[in-house]
Amino acid sequence: MINSHAVVLGIETSCDETAVGIVRGRNLLANVISSSVDEHARFGGVVPEIASRAHLEAMPGVIAQALLDAKLNISDIDAFAVTAGPGLIGALLVGTSSASGLALALGKPLYGVNHLSAHIAVDTLESDQKLQPTIALLVSGGHSSILQVNDLTNDVITLGRTIDDAAGEAFDKIARILELSFPGGPAIDLAARSGNPTAIDFPRGLSLNKDLVEHKYDFSFSGLKTAVSRYLQATPKFVRADVAASFQEAVVDVLLTKAIAAAVETGIDRLVIAGGVAANSRLRELAESRAAKSGIQLRIPPMGLCTDNGAMVAALGALAVQAGISPSGLGFGANSSSGIERPIF
Amino acid sequence: MNHSLVIDTSTNRTLVGIVSEGTLLFEAHHDDALGHGEALPKLVQQALANTVQIDSVIVGMGPGPFTGLRVGISFAQSFAFARGIPWVGVCGLDAIASQISDSEFFVAVDARRKEVFFARYKTGERIAEPGVCQPSQLAKVEIPTYGEATGEFPSALGLAKIAERGAHYLAPIYVRRPDAYPPPAGVKFRPMLQLDLVPAFALEKSVYKSDAWTMAQFKEEFAAKERTYLVAEFGGSVIGYSGAVNLAGTCDVLTLTVAQEHRQKGIGREMLRRLIDWARTQKCEAIMLEVRVANEEAMPLYESFGFIEISRRSDYYGPGKTAIVMRKELQ
Repeated sequence: MINSHAVVLGIETSCDETAVGIVRGRNLLANVISSSVDEHARFGGVVPEIASRAHLEAMPGVIAQALLDAKLNISDIDAFAVTAGPGLIGALLVGTSSASGLALALGKPLYGVNHLSAHIAVDTLESDQKLQPTIALLVSGGHSSILQVNDLTNDVITLGRTIDDAAGEAFDKIARILELSFPGGPAIDLAARSGNPTAIDFPRGLSLNKDLVEHKYDFSFSGLKTAVSRYLQATPKFVRADVAASFQEAVVDVLLTKAIAAAVETGIDRLVIAGGVAANSRLRELAESRAAKSGIQLRIPPMGLCTDNGAMVAALGALAVQAGISPSGLGFGANSSSGIERPIF
Repeated sequence: MNHSLVIDTSTNRTLVGIVSEGTLLFEAHHDDALGHGEALPKLVQQALANTVQIDSVIVGMGPGPFTGLRVGISFAQSFAFARGIPWVGVCGLDAIASQISDSEFFVAVDARRKEVFFARYKTGERIAEPGVCQPSQLAKVEIPTYGEATGEFPSALGLAKIAERGAHYLAPIYVRRPDAYPPPAGVKFRPMLQLDLVPAFALEKSVYKSDAWTMAQFKEEFAAKERTYLVAEFGGSVIGYSGAVNLAGTCDVLTLTVAQEHRQKGIGREMLRRLIDWARTQKCEAIMLEVRVANEEAMPLYESFGFIEISRRSDYYGPGKTAIVMRKELQ
């Protein structure tokens, strides 16, 4: 195999999506996702045991479908990659066990990769542009971080992170209060389209001068959540669309203000926005205009590659192969809380 | 020569073996309740160092603690897929039983939460699907129990023997449902209100006939202190109700009633779950309930929540109508 054209199969099971992607170097060959989201909807959040059971049931079919889409046999795969963390431990283990079963059966290398790095790595697919170094804003149901990516496979620095809820979590919780559906991101995005984003002035967490001393690039969404609840209690005849739009504006505004500041202040004039919340239409729209204003080169992966998927795992695996990084070896296990400082296990 | 790779992660032990025509070629294990994910690939690599050619995979499908159990199954199905060979799943308890020669016995493995997964065997055959209970319940029966507690684990030869008998499982033997079992669709659960008393009483009469509470008892119970009552509503009608009382730190389920035509849909389960949650918020040390002898329909539900029989009260529901008293510890 030529390292830059390695065929890598990536497996992702850190939350509720059972996903397998296949890439050849930077080319995306297959991206199959089976989600158990419907089974979690009635709980308003992901139930770990239900997700793990669904992963085991879905895995053989998802692998087979990905190979079919890529028009490949399993023996054509040069290397395997799998999300080893962070995520739900029982869910991660279904993926890591499946991947090690495949790799051992075929005697092929296996890379355990970091889920957050993979979210950013997906941007290298179908792109010839130079990605690194870059600032990355990673926003999903489980994470909200600003990262300085010097090298995706071995040099990622966390500049800031949420000190309480993740942005996606805040969307889920507010959607529940507004009696919108789960997951909350798309539901609020939709409801907000007919609302006025400046109708209610909700707080931007950790944005006061005194907060900026210690939490320059950190996020906090719990105060915003409380503010929305209080507003709803105090306003019996609230306009749902306006609440959704104003809440969304508060989240998006603070995310972008801090991410753009990081790009400007580090002198790295590139910004990648990744993770499930990057699918939010207002975030995409506002990011475009603010990045243009600040002279920052902005990249956001296509909608389908923002939420959890296997292609991003395969993409990071392919970068590891290309960089000549040695495989993770056996028994790297799964780590529910692994940090991004360790992109490859 | 037909070589089978044998894997079991249904106990605290991660077991890997290679068996060929009833002969053990390789066996190794690693004991760590949380280490299956890390141990399994290493053990399989050791196994493959001696035997590259594998013709089938045999894997223990449980019952066992879920997270570890899925490690073995997920690995086995992917390994078999990659090699283009078949895999078969077998019951791990059967594999342990195959090593025992008593005429009648239980096999039990740790199920966490102070419970065990178990099955009963008679003259070498399992007499029912595996279940889950507290170890003290098995101890009451005068037959021996083998398993993790007596140092008996599934062996590669045992698993291979069961596979050969053709007792195959295609899905994990979970026994327990996920804790957050989805409440039934379209059914709304809410606290009981004064205006629910009339429809609830009508349901009481239709279900319990002459044993039903009177409307006066109903009203009195509903108004009394330290109690919680809730109803299940479907299409605007009350189709179930339940209530519990906190008696000085022990919760007692007063009633759990579901309309005949809405049974077996998880409505009783959801109401009981909510009563248990309430008992916990009341900081009760235990929750108790009475169930009529021969009310088989309800027993598995209570057992699945970890209620165990502690005594019987004769004539509880009237002459000759015995109640089984069940209790679940909450602390």
